Amino acid sequence: MMLFSGSAILKRQADDFRHIFHRPGLLFVTSVAVLLIFLFIVFPIGSVLIKSFSVSYPMVSIVISDAERAGAEAEKKANESLFLIFGQIQGIEKTRVGKEGGTTVHTVRFRKEWDDLKGFNDIKRAIQRNRDSLEPMVVGAKMSLGKETTASLATYLEFFSSGRYYRALKNSIVVAIVTTLLVIPLAFCFAFLGLKGPALLKFPLRMLGLIPLVAPPFIFSLALIIIGGRHGILTRFLDLPFNIYGWRGVIIAQVITFLPLGYLMIENVLRSLGSNLEEAAYDMRATDWQILYKITIPLASPGILKASLLVFILSIADFGNPMLIGGDVPFLSTGAYLLWVSDNNLEMAAVFCVFLVLPSLIIFLVNEYILKGKAFTTIGGKPQQTERRPISPKILYPMLILVAVASCVILFCFGIIFIGAFTKILMVDNSLTLDHFRSPNGFRTLITSLKFSLGAALVAPAVGVTLSYILVRKRVPLKKVLESLALLGFAVPGTVMGIGYILAFNNPPLKLTGTFIILIINEAFRNLSVSLEAGVSKLQQIDVAIEEAAEDMGAGAVRIFFKIVLPLISSAFVAGFIYTFMVGMIAVSAVIFLITPGNDLAALYILNVAEQGYLGMACAISTMLIAVVLVCLGGLRFLVKMSKIEIF
Amino acid sequence: MMRKEGSSILEMRHIVKRFGAMTAVNDVSLDLERGKLVTFLGPSGCGKTTLLRVVSGFTVPDEGRVILDGEDITDVQPNGRDTAMVFQNYALFPHMTVAANIGFGLKIMKKTKKEIADEVERLLALVQMEGLGGRRPHELSGGQQQRVALARALSLCPKILLLDEPLSNLDANLRLLMRGEIRKLHRRLGLSIIFVTHDQEEAMSLSDELVVMDHGIVKQVGSPTQIYETPVDEFVARFIGHINFIPGEVVGESNGHLTLRTCHGDLSVSQVPFPVACGDRLKAVIRPESIGIAAASDCGRTDEANVIPGRVEASMYIGAIIRYTVVCGEDTMYIDATDPQYRGILKEGTEVKLFLKKRIHMLKI
Repeated sequence: MMLFSGSAILKRQADDFRHIFHRPGLLFVTSVAVLLIFLFIVFPIGSVLIKSFSVSYPMVSIVISDAERAGAEAEKKANESLFLIFGQIQGIEKTRVGKEGGTTVHTVRFRKEWDDLKGFNDIKRAIQRNRDSLEPMVVGAKMSLGKETTASLATYLEFFSSGRYYRALKNSIVVAIVTTLLVIPLAFCFAFLGLKGPALLKFPLRMLGLIPLVAPPFIFSLALIIIGGRHGILTRFLDLPFNIYGWRGVIIAQVITFLPLGYLMIENVLRSLGSNLEEAAYDMRATDWQILYKITIPLASPGILKASLLVFILSIADFGNPMLIGGDVPFLSTGAYLLWVSDNNLEMAAVFCVFLVLPSLIIFLVNEYILKGKAFTTIGGKPQQTERRPISPKILYPMLILVAVASCVILFCFGIIFIGAFTKILMVDNSLTLDHFRSPNGFRTLITSLKFSLGAALVAPAVGVTLSYILVRKRVPLKKVLESLALLGFAVPGTVMGIGYILAFNNPPLKLTGTFIILIINEAFRNLSVSLEAGVSKLQQIDVAIEEAAEDMGAGAVRIFFKIVLPLISSAFVAGFIYTFMVGMIAVSAVIFLITPGNDLAALYILNVAEQGYLGMACAISTMLIAVVLVCLGGLRFLVKMSKIEIF
Repeated sequence: MMRKEGSSILEMRHIVKRFGAMTAVNDVSLDLERGKLVTFLGPSGCGKTTLLRVVSGFTVPDEGRVILDGEDITDVQPNGRDTAMVFQNYALFPHMTVAANIGFGLKIMKKTKKEIADEVERLLALVQMEGLGGRRPHELSGGQQQRVALARALSLCPKILLLDEPLSNLDANLRLLMRGEIRKLHRRLGLSIIFVTHDQEEAMSLSDELVVMDHGIVKQVGSPTQIYETPVDEFVARFIGHINFIPGEVVGESNGHLTLRTCHGDLSVSQVPFPVACGDRLKAVIRPESIGIAAASDCGRTDEANVIPGRVEASMYIGAIIRYTVVCGEDTMYIDATDPQYRGILKEGTEVKLFLKKRIHMLKI
């Protein structure tokens, strides 16, 4: 049976291939989409993977010219004397002699960790010193410094043997687990109270859940540093012996950062369960507490597990918080960045990336193959007009307290940022000032961020929605694979996509690093999947008969797409646009690898000034950034309303 | 607590429930007899489900009291009431087996494992689901889920069983079957049941008593025969089955007979149960099957009291009956003729005469 269905699938794929090759237009559009996905998602990630399995050695090559003319005897002599010299130099691992055209080339490979410049100079000096014993053609040889790369597991071995690297993995995983274990129960309380608690809580909780989505992801770290950093308000005020830097700070900051997302996901789950089953249990004499742990939690558990996995992945991939508040504690994502910036050790950075991806990959597979279809759906019926019933105080009050504390922390953090932006130095000199806003760089980066986000927000839905149309409506082979590959760009942590782009686009013919365009491409393709899914779900709602009707009236494929489909799925386009724009404005983790001094982005600039201790300025630019995002979103909503496209 | 040993199991006194500006239940008072199957019947949005939820406790009425078996339960939470509900979509717990679903309430009541197992066994047998206790709800057919939901509700030994459109998710054949099963269970266990439905046929065939509702108001309470034969107003008459109305004016009254002047001529009808005087306007309410029909050329029947001429405009053959649409002057009337195989079918355009009986239900206008 399995075999049969397997061959049936193969046959269908083959049919799909045959189908597409008979339609040049479709073939062309599909090819372009596939090419883009491979180029900007698969290729960079693949480059990281390859890099992690390779080792580069410092290498000096010495080209001896005119060897032909000097004769074989002289050449042999020159080679021998060079060997003698190499023997005296430290750090050499291997030497090699080769012929390239008419010239002899000596290749000297140093040990991996060897300082390449020192080796180069050592050889140079030795040749100078032994000038007399060497042939003139050796003395006049051209020397160059390079790198030699071979496939090896050495970097992985080093990762596990060096405590420093290995600890980063351990820290990342432990912090992710703790964060998840804290976020999920808290998020459940938020969702539970929002849906089933007193009705007046509903709106404030929703707002509280949504506000952090427009703020840079490290804003809570910034606030926590102002409160509990080395010179923080609390630290000084209470004369605390410790400060917030380190894993404590990262966990607190991440819990607040990921709480809204967990809340939205779990609320979705609880809402989809409806209140019918709870009512049935209530009717069966169950108490509120019994309903909660016998009905609600078991039923929501697949969804809760999904939310947990997502929070776990996000925590591991998080860049801003560990960067700002992590202190000396090594983490995978920031570690990869530091390896690149300060050591230029891209191999180890690539290995870090592999360990960043691995947990998400495992979780993705678990989600796809084990959890799929596990969600409990209730049998349809007309939605009842149900009233909120009072929850027993034994459940209500503990939850209320937890939610209140978390809400206060969130609001307090926002308040600190806002107040910090307008005071000289918070709690030292509380006089109001607008000085922090006088930051030419701040304005410049804000403009750059806007350009960048708009660019990405146009590219991502354009590619994503077009692709969704091809995938849903056209006969194209390997649909599932294409969709998964697009998802890959979204699922893989930003750090990985950043390093991947450096590795992939640093060489001609695609030397894009250092340009502004690479930032936009990176952001667009990282978020492609969101637009793609928006398009897919919208298209699945639209009856294919509408398009068939147009075809029936004699419209061609292109006309159908532009005249019929595009107006109908414009809402997906707008949704993709808004999402990409929002995340673009606050993007940190991938773009930090790709910016150059000329095109710095606002969120990164905030990170930068915060690290340097200009907290007031960081607060001020954060405030401006949030304001800009809110104004843009408001403007967009207005435009959308005017144009009468439905999205929300 | 005082317990009234009367025949009434459930009393509702002046129940009012508003949702915002909409009044879902508007001053409803009902008195339900013990051991009877009572149906709340009405179009969707008439307030029947809200009234049921008031009984179960999920909806708190804005005004009025609910008295169950002599005990005021208006302020009692659903988990403290001696009621049990079967939900429209059954609301079986998908993460539990059939047995765990049925045993849920017993477990809450802190029964021992043995007691629960025995009781579940008994209930499974009662709803003819022996041996299926280990299944999960999604492995059951719609009818089986329905039975499990029933068994689960019965496990609580409720004083009154509440069924919220329980058959609406089943296909036609299964609906008929389950209808019979519910009727049988009701007979066997002597349960008091409230059954909510918008399906008038279901309501007629199941109920001891019908409560017809519209716009939050109880229109009529009565046995199926009462509701069908003597509806109190046009709404009830129209809601249950097809109906013909002939408006007219009382022009004479003599030895128990009224003469009603209509646009089809004078009709001679029996005395009505309310006082009338000459000049009163009345409306004759006539079911399609109580009108006789014959071709105008047919001279066989001359003894009928009231004859109206007409012309067949359309006929619809349904099998057991044939439904004629007959134009009489400006009115259109529906007539159901039984046994069409034997009596033959009148062609469209045929001039016919309609025979009306003397005993006709009358409504005041």
